Formats: sequence, structure tokens, C-alpha cells
Amino acid sequence: MKAFKYLSPKTVEEAIAFHGQHSETSKFIGGGTDVIVKLKEGWMEPDFLISLKKIEEMSELHKNEATQELSIGAMVTHATLEKSLMIQNDYPIIYDAVSNIGSLQVRNVGTIGGNLINAVPSADGAIPLIALDGVALLHGPDGERSCDVKDIFVAPYKTILKPGEILKKIAIPPQASNTGSAYIKFGRRAAMELPLIGIGVLLTLDETKEICIKARICLGVAAPVPMRAFGAEKLLVGKKINEEILIEAGKIAADESKVRDSVRGKAWHRKEMIRVHVRRIGLKCLEIIKNNS
Amino acid sequence: MSKSNSDFSVVGKRIPKLDAAQKAMGRAEYIQDIKLPGMLYGRILYSKYAHANIVKIDTSKAVALSGVHAVLTGEDVPEKMKMGFIKDNPPIKKGKVCSFRDEVAAVAAISPEIAKKALDLIEIEYEEQIGIFDPEKAMEKDSPLVHGHLKSNVLKMPWDIHYGDVEKAEKESAFVVEDRFTTQWVTHCCLGTSGAIALFDANDNLTIHTNTQIPSLAQKDFLESLKAMGLENKRVRVIKPIIGGGFGSKLDTYAYEHIAILLAHKCRKPVKIAFDRVEEFKATSTRQPTIIYIKQGCDKNGKLTFRDMRMVLDNGAHTSWGATTPSVMLMPISSLYRVENVKYVAKCVYTNNTYSQAMRGYGNPQATFAIESSMDMLAEKAGIDRIEIRRINRNQSGDETPQGLKITTCGLEECIDAVEKELKFDGKNEKGVGTGIASLIHVGGGARIYGSDGCGAILKMDDYGKVDVFTGGTDMGQGLDNIIAQIVAEELGLLAEDINVVHSDTDICPWDVGAHASRSTFVAGNAALGAAKKVKQKIQKFASKLFDVPAEKIEFKDKLVFVPGDQEKSMPLGKLLRKAHFSPGGTMLMAEYFYDPDNQNMGKELKGNMSMTYSFGAHGAKVKVDEETGKVEVLEYVAAHDVGRAINPLLLEGQVYGGVVMGLGYALTEEVTVKDGEIMNANFRDYKLFTAKDAVKIKAPIIETDDKDGPFGAKGIGEPGCVPTAPAIANAIYDAVGVRIKDLPITPEKVLVALKKKND
Ligand SMILES: Cc1cc2nc3c(=O)[nH]c(=O)nc-3n(C[C@H](O)[C@H](O)[C@H](O)COP(=O)(O)OP(=O)(O)OC[C@H]3O[C@@H](n4cnc5c(N)ncnc54)[C@H](O)[C@@H]3O)c2cc1C
Repeated sequence: MKAFKYLSPKTVEEAIAFHGQHSETSKFIGGGTDVIVKLKEGWMEPDFLISLKKIEEMSELHKNEATQELSIGAMVTHATLEKSLMIQNDYPIIYDAVSNIGSLQVRNVGTIGGNLINAVPSADGAIPLIALDGVALLHGPDGERSCDVKDIFVAPYKTILKPGEILKKIAIPPQASNTGSAYIKFGRRAAMELPLIGIGVLLTLDETKEICIKARICLGVAAPVPMRAFGAEKLLVGKKINEEILIEAGKIAADESKVRDSVRGKAWHRKEMIRVHVRRIGLKCLEIIKNNS
Repeated sequence: MSKSNSDFSVVGKRIPKLDAAQKAMGRAEYIQDIKLPGMLYGRILYSKYAHANIVKIDTSKAVALSGVHAVLTGEDVPEKMKMGFIKDNPPIKKGKVCSFRDEVAAVAAISPEIAKKALDLIEIEYEEQIGIFDPEKAMEKDSPLVHGHLKSNVLKMPWDIHYGDVEKAEKESAFVVEDRFTTQWVTHCCLGTSGAIALFDANDNLTIHTNTQIPSLAQKDFLESLKAMGLENKRVRVIKPIIGGGFGSKLDTYAYEHIAILLAHKCRKPVKIAFDRVEEFKATSTRQPTIIYIKQGCDKNGKLTFRDMRMVLDNGAHTSWGATTPSVMLMPISSLYRVENVKYVAKCVYTNNTYSQAMRGYGNPQATFAIESSMDMLAEKAGIDRIEIRRINRNQSGDETPQGLKITTCGLEECIDAVEKELKFDGKNEKGVGTGIASLIHVGGGARIYGSDGCGAILKMDDYGKVDVFTGGTDMGQGLDNIIAQIVAEELGLLAEDINVVHSDTDICPWDVGAHASRSTFVAGNAALGAAKKVKQKIQKFASKLFDVPAEKIEFKDKLVFVPGDQEKSMPLGKLLRKAHFSPGGTMLMAEYFYDPDNQNMGKELKGNMSMTYSFGAHGAKVKVDEETGKVEVLEYVAAHDVGRAINPLLLEGQVYGGVVMGLGYALTEEVTVKDGEIMNANFRDYKLFTAKDAVKIKAPIIETDDKDGPFGAKGIGEPGCVPTAPAIANAIYDAVGVRIKDLPITPEKVLVALKKKND
């Protein structure tokens, strides 16, 4: 591993300025669970690592009581999310995803922001944030801007972030009542496992709790970047949700996916797992809605 | 009369590993931690192709790199320096490579980074050849040859065995089943990766620090390498650091060890080669993969009539112990259950894949997977209960099997009973849930593979009642040190912590054939016990004068030497030893003992009682199959073993738990994925070793049969835990959802395909 200098700015502005001084040879580091692996394997060889750890506002997790908007600092660790009662109760889909990332050690240091910006097709953290219509707040040399979380990803390991730009936080808009959400990582092992396929579903029903007014079906490892199965979502909106229609949605989602064969798993099986789990997770959402009222 | 555990004060006790704290605190020195003055770092360059001619190697840029002390290619390796028991594997290849794992160059430099950089500077021109990766295709007449100088890819091995009359027995059978099973490449996954440090003294004597399970045999291999290098009549000292897991992976010497020797000799400095995880996956050996054809039959009462097995073994490009696994497979094939007529033919075939080695069970898990899956199929065909057919055919004490194995003690029936007691086999499970059972036989009293199956021990007492035991045996994490300490402590009336076991250095420790075949507790244990008994006699003799009583009246307990019933005649052992030492004509109390069991080599006919005793076991699994995803969840697991006697039940359970989890990985998730000879998953992300979270709760009933030859009645139990795991799981899956998976590992994809086929 090549030697590097480790910088610990205390503010976002300072971090951006550091980056500006050595833009070609510096790299931001969050928890480092992806960065350190890449350094050790020689995939990247920066002279400067700019740690975002000391920037306090980036580690904040809180819900605005007035607006009901949830704000997740990019440096919030998976373990923090996993242990938060608010996340467990109000955002089960986030809990499902982060509580099964890697191992306890990885979750203790790995951050949600790093998970997004690392931008692998299998990022567990991306799926729930897309399903929840999360908005990413970016801050760079040219100032602030925002975009939908789903639009961050360009290709594997590639995001829309410009050089020197930092993901500051993710904002989750208030959730309508009668909403249920859940995620499953389908893999071979119970821990230390990248998903063979990741499936997240969010459903909002109307006051009668029969008709779907909003649906999100999000898939990981189903395409080069995390994706939404728009066709399957469209099928559900305006309809009465029951097992039959979820089976149909599963089929559509599987067809929409662009799964591939790889050493890790076969495309047909991944498709099959999408089909099965859209139904299972959809039913779980209904269960959650029922239990919450 | 057999003794019960209450007769012992140290044996049979759950004494935690004596080195546990040292390891938990990070103080144990592994090869990675050892740094010698002036040490250089070696690194190996591997082939870019599965099969190619080396047209040209240009090392000039690497040689010129500052900090590089030596660069070696195949040209620098003496012609006679070859590895493996048939010596078909030079440590660096010359002119041609036959697998991705083939070494083509090596460097030594002042840092690992520079060594790595130097490798990148070596330019090699290859001419790719057609590779052959399917052993059955490699057997065909017109197949390309892996080694051009040979006439065929099929190795000359003796595995063609026929006991009784299989053809006749088949004709007379009421029921016959036949099928094909296949098992995959898996690898040991030792947490401590491989490594060695070689150094020469001014007189060209070699010291090598290396991770090995066979210090004495490795010493021999290294001596041969020195001889090939023109260094005759030299000494080789093998020093074993603390080893982070063996599981058979260290039963042969590896190219990196011989390369470290070459580099150290060339540089006149210590050279260390230490693998990273990727290299560990790619350049160490796997379990022997198999293609198995099995046919067996029974009469109308369910009694086995014959067993006919044929195997094709992918030998890879070079030969190590994988090619000899049939010698152990023969044991379950001929002797798991009573079966008189047995046929077994195995062909080892060169391919351009990686080559295999010893791995826990040494072929037994592969053979038992086919046998025990087939037993369930036979039971079903004959309409006999699965447990019943096993009871009918069970081995029993006093049996002699067609192979000539003499079953002295056999607790198989008790093991089956224990499994049945723990799991319900009444077929009344909820949908998708099922149970399975599979049994095992394994060597439990050494295994005579070489001319000697022996192990030496030297025992030395100090002036304070403490003991040093120098054993030939190897502790590689399994806890042999504890076992020896408990055995010696029991014999001398001491505590386990009074015994210091030294097992790390061929300059100090006597000879041993190696930590293989579940033999260490039995053989190294008996050697230590023999030495302890000798020393005990000496002490008795001395005390007999002191106390003026006959020697046999003197007993040892709680660190005292005493005459029972006579309070006057009692002395702390330490005091007595000092008396012996510091009296005129003083004496130090020491003893040596070499134990070589009275077992037999298999002769030309491949018959003979290779072990003094055999361990038995039965495993039961309860699984739940998700019929939509194909995923198998293990709900309960019972692994009952006849262990003779548990010297330390805590460590024994540890061996069983570890074995079972290894076996579950074998059954369900683990596979070295190989594509055209190249390993595609050389990391723990994609090689699906079970994690702590995947591990299931295991019950491990211990059956004690008090074997007459074992130390305090013990048999070996190092390997059995992973032997019948896969068939127990496969049988449970069949019970659960009616599909039989014959190809390991049993992945969700395979289960789902089978379910679809069944439901179509
Ligand atoms: C053993 C192991 C198991 C794992 N298991 C899983 C798993 O199950 N599921 C899963 O999804 N992932 C897994 N990962 C991957 C990794 O842990 C996660 O992606 C983690 O969330 C990354 O966060 P981090 O803070 O460690 O990122 P870092 O390694 O610090 O950074 C990752 C990338 O993001 C950039 N970056 C980080 N923060 C910011 C920011 N705020 N703004 C701009 N750029 C930023 C870095 O420059 C880098 O390119 C695993 C990793 C390991 C080592």
C-alpha cells in the first residue's frame, strides 16, 4: 500500500478547500471500508486522504418534528441507523437493509454516504433510500445542489459527483400514513454477504387501506446501477393490493430487470428471486400497514 | 475392567486450551509476526495461462530494480528439485506451464513492495496451448496431453480393488440402486495464511521456519532439495511457528518453501515468503474433487450384498496427496456397514486445473456422500426404514471387514440411537421440513501409510515438579498440547498446567510422521504416556528406597508421591525430585519413548488393518427447504461420535463443531469456482465459507467405548466431524421436498432446478 497523508477537516468548506489544493491526488474517506480495501489492493493510490469524520453536521441523524422530514448525515454509520428506534419503527426498510450489511465491525465504521458514493450495483443502503424518495444534498467547489438519490448513480463505481464534491446528507420527505416498506437481501450467507439480488418495496394505501396510491419497487444487482421497476410500480398504483396483483408485479419487475449471469449467480435465478420476493416483501408491507393502525 | 471418567483427575476434564489467552491477546507469534535480522522478502510470479509454452523470459528490468537481491526462473532450479510423492512438480517451471498456479519466477527484495514491483517488471512471452479441464474428457484417447512426455493423462495408481464377488452378489440381490455423484473443489481456509522463512548458516546448513503439519517429513523433503542443489550432508532444522489452522493443507511441502530455500541460498540472507489471502486461495491445494459412480444392493431383508464404486479424480496439473485419497476412501467403501463384496476403481487424471491435497477426512467425505446418499435410495427402493437399514448393516465390535480392518470397539449403534433420540424421524414434519441421517467410519488409532506410523516423546522433569514434554506431534490449533498435558498430568498426579509441551523444532523434538489421519491424540498421546510411565517408574524406584516400601506401592496424586494409608510416607513431587537431583550420585529424571502402533501397511492387494482402532459416528440433520427460492436452512444438527474416551470433552466438542460447520459449508455453500482452469473466487467475499451467523446449533453426544489401545481408551476424532455432513443434509433435503441433489454444493439454484423438474 502506498503511503498517504491523512487530513481531518472540521467543516465541509475546509474539506472542499483541501481537495481543491490537491484535486488530482486526494480522495475523500468516510468509514473507509471500501477505500481501505481499494488502497490495499492497489486500485487507488492517493497522496491525501481527506477524512469526513470530524465534520459534525455530517454525522447527524434527526427527524424534524414540524416537517416530519428525516435527515441522514452522509457520515451516519450503518450501526447508528440500525440501533435507532426511530429508524426501526418508522423506516423499517432502512433497518432491513443496514442491519444486514457485512458484519458488526463493518457496520460500526461503514457509512451510508460511503455506501452510496462507492456506487456498486449491490449497495444495500441505496435501495431503501431510493424507495423512500430520498434527496441527496451535495456540496462542492461550486456550492450546493441536490438530486434524487436514484439519480446519483451513473455506472458501477461512477456517480454524478464532480471532483471535490461531497455528499452532505440525504433528506427523506415525510411519509404518508398507511405506508409500509421492507427490504430483503437475497444471498447465500447470513453475514458478510453481498446480495445476489436486493429487493425493496414501499407501498402507500389510501384511507380505506385497500387501494394503493404509491408504490416503489427498487432492485439492487438487477442492473449496473440500483433501479426502480417502474412498470411493476405502475401496475400497483390505483389498484387493490392483494397477493395476486403482487405476483403479477413480481413478474413484471423480473422482466424489467437487467440481471446477468456472473460467478456469483445465474440470471434466471436472480429473476426468479425478484419474482418471489416482490410478492413476499409486498405482503410484508401490507402486514406493516395493518400493524401500524 | 474399563474405567469410568470418575476414576480420573485430569483426563476427561473440560480444561480450556492452555494457549487460549496468549492467542486471544494477540501474543502468539505466527509466521507473519516473525522477522529475522537482515531478512528479505520473497514473492512468486504465477502463470498467466492454464497451459502454455514459455517462449521467452526477460528478467533484466527486475534484476536492475534497486532493492532486488535475486530473481529466479525455472532455469535456476536444479533439475532434480521436485515436489510431490511422484516428483512431477518443480518449484519453478521451465519451458512450459500447465496451470494458472504454476510458478514461473520468484524474487527476493528488501521489502514486500519492491518484491511485488519486481514481479511486475518480469516480461514473459507465452505461446498458449489448448487446455484440458474435464477429467473425463482428459481420459479419452485423443485428448490433448497435459504433460507431453507421458502417453496418457491417466496416472499410474494402484486403485483397482475387488473383495469377494461383486458380479455374483449383484445377481443375487433383491434390490439394486445405481447413480452418479460429484463433489467440488473446496479449500481449507486456514485463518493463518501460508508462509516460510529460510536461512542458511555459514556452513550451508538450513533452518526453515514454516507452517507445517509434518516437521519430520518436511525435513526430508528439504534435505532432498538441498541435495539437488549440490548441498550434501547438510543439516535441516524445521521450526514451526504457531500455526493458524492446518486441516491437511500442510501435509505436503509447497513451492514457496523450496523457493524460499533457493532464494535464501542465493542471497545468503534469510528470505521470507508469506502469502496474502488471494495467493492462499490460488496457490495452495484444495480438497480432491470427485466424479463417483456407485451401485449397491441388498437382499429382501435389507442386508447389504455388494458395493461397486468407480471414481474419476481430477488430479490437476501436478500430483500431491489428492491422488492418494482413494486409499482412505477405500475404508468407507469397504467397511462402512457390513458388506462382503466390494469393488472399487479410481482413476486420477491430469488436467490443467489446480491440484489437490490432503484435507480433513482425506477422501472420506467424498466417498461417504455417495455411499450414504445411496443408502437412503436403497432403503426407499427396498421399502425399509432409513434408520432400520443402517441398524441392520451396522458394524460391530469384533468385526473384520473385507479390507482387513479389525474393528476392536464400535459404538455405531449407540451413535445412531443418539441421533434418533434427538431428532424425530417419524415423517411428521411440517411442509418443507425433513430429517436426514448418515454414518461414518474413520481411522481412530493411527494410520500406517509410511514405513513408520510412529511418534517420539521425550519427557524431562525439573526440580519443582514441573514437566517438559518434547513431542514429535504437531499442534496447529486443534489442541494437541492440551491433550498431551492432560495425559501426562494424569499419569504423574499433576495438573495440566504443570506440563509444558514443546512441539516446534526438529532440533529438539523427536520424529513423528505428521499431524494427519486423526492420529495425534492416539499416537502422540501414547508416546507421551509411554514416556510418563517410564519416568514414573524411575520416581517409584527412588521413592521406594526413600520410603522403604516396594515400588508398586507408591502412588501419585495432587502433586504428591505417597504410600496410601501411611501418612508418614508422603512427599511433594518437587521435593522428591530435588532430593534425587542433589543427593550424592544424583540423577535427573528424564525418559524417552517411541510409540509405533501395531497397525499394518496395505500391501499390493490393498488389504490390511491400517489403524489400531476405528472411530464411528452418526450425524442427523433437520432442514427446512424454501421451495420458492431453493434455500436450505439447517434447523437442528446432531453429531454423535464413538471417541473411545474424551480426554477433554471441551476440545472434543470443538473439533466436532468445527468439523460439522466445515461439512455444512461443503454441503451447502463452499466451492472454489474454476473456469477453464482459473479460480474465479479467490476471496472470502465470493468463497462462501460459513460465518458465525450461519453456524447452527450442534448437539454432539459423546459415546465412550474405552478402546484398549488408546491412551486412557481414546480414539482419534480430528476429522470425523466433517465426514457424513453432506449426505446427512442431502438426505434431509430429500425427506423434506423429495428431490435428491447429487452434486455438491447443494445451492439454491440446484434445489430449485430439481424442484421444477419434479413438479413438471
Ligand atoms: C467485509 C465487508 C463487508 C461488506 N458488506 C457490505 C454489504 O453487505 N452491503 C453493502 O452494501 N456494502 C458492504 N460493504 C461495503 C462497504 O462497507 C459499504 O459500502 C460502506 O457503506 C461504505 O462506507 P464507508 O464509509 O466505509 O465508505 P468509504 O470506504 O469511506 O468510501 C467509499 C467511497 O465513497 C467516497 N465517499 C465516502 N463518503 C463520501 C461523502 N460523504 N461524499 C463524497 N464521497 C464520499 C469515498 O471517496 C469512496 O470513493 C462491505 C465491505 C466490507 C469490507
